[in-house]
Amino acid sequence: MTTAVEMLGIRKVFPGVVANDNVNLSVEEGEIHALIGENGAGKSTLMNVLFGLHHPEAGVIKIRGKEVHIRKNADAIALGIGMVHQKFKLVPSFTVAENITLGSEPRHRGIFLDRKAVHDNVMEISRRFGLQISPDARIQDLPVGVQQRVEILKALYRQADILILDEPTAVLTPKETRDLFGVIRSLVANGKTVIFITHKLREVMEISDRVTAMRDGKVVGVTKTTETNPTQLARMMVGRDVLLRVTKTEAQPKDVVLQIRDLHVFDDRNLKAVQGVSFDVRAGEILGIAGVEGNGQRELVEAIVGLRPAWNGEIQVKAQNLTTLNIRQRREVGVSCVPEDRYVRGVALPASIEDNLIVNNYFKPPIAQGPLLKPDVIARHAQELIETFDVRTPSKDVPAYALSGGNLQKVVLARELSAQPDLFIAAQPTRGLDIGSIEFVHRRIVEARDRGAAVLLVSAELEEIMSLSDRIVVLYEGKIMGAIEGARATEEGLGLWMAGITSEGSPEAAGH
Amino acid sequence: MDFSWILDILQRYVFNIANLQGMLRLATPVVLAGLCALITSRAGILNIAGEGMILFGAWFGVAGSYFFRSAWMGLLAAMLSGLVVGGLFALFSLKFRAHIIIMGIAINIFANSATIFLTREVFGVAGAFSDPNIAGLPPIEIPILKDIPVLGPLLSGYTFIVYLAWILVALTYVFLYRTPWGLHLRAVGENPQAAETLGINVQRVRFGAVMASGVFASLAGVYLSLGHLQMFTEQMAAGRGFIGMAVNTFGGGEPVGVFLSSLLFGIVETIGWRLQGERIMPVYFISMLPYLATLAALTIFTLRKQQAKKAALERAAREA
Ligand SMILES: Nc1ncnc2c1ncn2[C@@H]1O[C@H](COP(=O)(O)OP(=O)(O)O)[C@@H](O)[C@H]1O
Ligand SMILES: [Mg+2]
Repeated sequence: MTTAVEMLGIRKVFPGVVANDNVNLSVEEGEIHALIGENGAGKSTLMNVLFGLHHPEAGVIKIRGKEVHIRKNADAIALGIGMVHQKFKLVPSFTVAENITLGSEPRHRGIFLDRKAVHDNVMEISRRFGLQISPDARIQDLPVGVQQRVEILKALYRQADILILDEPTAVLTPKETRDLFGVIRSLVANGKTVIFITHKLREVMEISDRVTAMRDGKVVGVTKTTETNPTQLARMMVGRDVLLRVTKTEAQPKDVVLQIRDLHVFDDRNLKAVQGVSFDVRAGEILGIAGVEGNGQRELVEAIVGLRPAWNGEIQVKAQNLTTLNIRQRREVGVSCVPEDRYVRGVALPASIEDNLIVNNYFKPPIAQGPLLKPDVIARHAQELIETFDVRTPSKDVPAYALSGGNLQKVVLARELSAQPDLFIAAQPTRGLDIGSIEFVHRRIVEARDRGAAVLLVSAELEEIMSLSDRIVVLYEGKIMGAIEGARATEEGLGLWMAGITSEGSPEAAGH
Repeated sequence: MDFSWILDILQRYVFNIANLQGMLRLATPVVLAGLCALITSRAGILNIAGEGMILFGAWFGVAGSYFFRSAWMGLLAAMLSGLVVGGLFALFSLKFRAHIIIMGIAINIFANSATIFLTREVFGVAGAFSDPNIAGLPPIEIPILKDIPVLGPLLSGYTFIVYLAWILVALTYVFLYRTPWGLHLRAVGENPQAAETLGINVQRVRFGAVMASGVFASLAGVYLSLGHLQMFTEQMAAGRGFIGMAVNTFGGGEPVGVFLSSLLFGIVETIGWRLQGERIMPVYFISMLPYLATLAALTIFTLRKQQAKKAALERAAREA
């Protein structure tokens, strides 16, 4: 076997972080190589270096045994490297065929687009690799799984034979994931080499031939998949033994705090994202909303907190109708929220920690007196929260962007929980956090419940949902596929619901 | 009730050959300014420098025509000025990353002062410069067509730039939707990262778009200074660079849309001129009309879009 890709001593520094520190990676021709590591480990950075999007400070890259200098993206493409990014890079208003051929379109008389050839070429390549596609559909109308297929075809069209897939399964349903694995296997059968990035260990075990694990910008292990197991891989990724279950007592549910009836909400493209959802959350319980991202979770949360109008239906908190209230009024009723995108909606990045901690109460005593803020109270407030929530920061005056993801999330949690909410919404609260911060966030969520708050937990991570929730509902295409007690839920059962498959009979039946 | 007076008024002020001719003439600089805005906005660039580019085009048109005694040299000089100003704008905003709005404002202010300064220094006059030696662009009579009643006077006999503007509308359409470069430009405007990862040079595409916008704007400028009266007047762009941005929005960023909304602007301006002759309204109010009309059109456009969105939501809600 020959080596398809060899990366030696790669070093890449971003302001304040060493994203890749003397990284070595070797991928054999024709293998499926898994690159694993927690969020922030440096996986995407390494692949962006290989794909010519980042320039490393040091290191050598060899492709098929020959040293190469990849200065720009086009160099990598010319070397037969293709990459499907975590965030797709498609033009929404263009057709599938236009997206696939963009940048190297067949021409007609030199200056015109040959639209027939565009269409035919795409059909041909789609047939050759067995990836079904309709060339004339517009990207904006296609589901995520199909968009991903377009991305793969884009790379194949450019004759890629080394294909990088950056967390391809993060946005897929279990069914779509299985389809993708089928595609990957057929690519390898066609002589392609695949680098598959993930942090889901089950997928690593299922699909890969070899694994490289990264942590904190360094490679911490390389092994054959057949010679390892998930526990060992987890220890490699995290650097210590991992305790995934959260300890919590039996829930003591009291009165209904949040009551949602027949809620309909539209997304940004004016499509129905939430379609007739009804559920209750009681004081002292955690209701987990599971589902693959993009199935209406974001719109549901935004409708409750007031960032998005509810088309119709009822949202009541403590028997008070929220739909006619503005965001501040809803917060005054007792709603707090850790939003899913902490960098956009969780904090104001250029503002100080101190200021970020008062944006929900700057207008009322004790923070303000009449129209004036009280700096000494604000300083004390910040200091207290920084201590109780263990925010690791040089001072309360540094801007939010100077903090790591985990510490930033602690700032958001501190602010939202210090309001003593009756309804606490946590949307994807641990996305991108390290294990230590995840444990911290989980503990705080359980504490909020034990204090008597109604907690609505929205997460795409099944493990998180299963270990925290007292009850679980699954959202699929904006509808509730099923509801089950936390203790009785199984991963398989929830997985089926997440894929939109219902089974007759009792809720547990779905799990067996 | 007798409504014939309405028809009478319509015919007198709107639908007669003279007015429609006026519409096509007055729409021409707006069409070109609209294309200037279109080509940059479709590439994802907010170009507010159209106004200044028009002004330079107008000045260099007159200067070229005056010194070489040839309207075509004026046209050439103007287009060169468009390329240079566009090039500078692109260089500073794209390469040196100056803030694009600030850069646009700078170009507009600079164009204003520079043309005033140049008029005084080069021609030794203030306010306006006209001279018999400035050659104007000759009208073009289209054979056969010119002898057809109604259509003849309506479509024949304009200066070269009027026809050029029409041709450019068609060419822009073909460019955007029928050529690979048009596809690249739209991709760059909609998702620059996607374009970049496919090896499209985003910077170069945007550079080209800005240069092209400079040429479009300069043509609008020459039309103002050489199309009718052969003369340069200070501040003669009179907001057309911005109106161009408005018609581009109103026209949905589509060449044909830009053309049609420019006609709307042209007819309102023509009516304004007619009313000035009638002395039924204060002149200043009348010269405000085209801008008011633009404002009204944009407002209606936005409201309509919101309504359409609401209707779509209602439809979706019923279906669900
Ligand atoms: N463009 C960038 N600018 C600054 N820092 C970055 C950039 N991209 C990644 N990083 C940082 O580099 C580290 C590694 O990130 P990344 O490669 O995306 O990790 P992974 O893909 O393994 O989750 C993180 O600390 C991240 O914040
Ligand atoms: Mg990544």
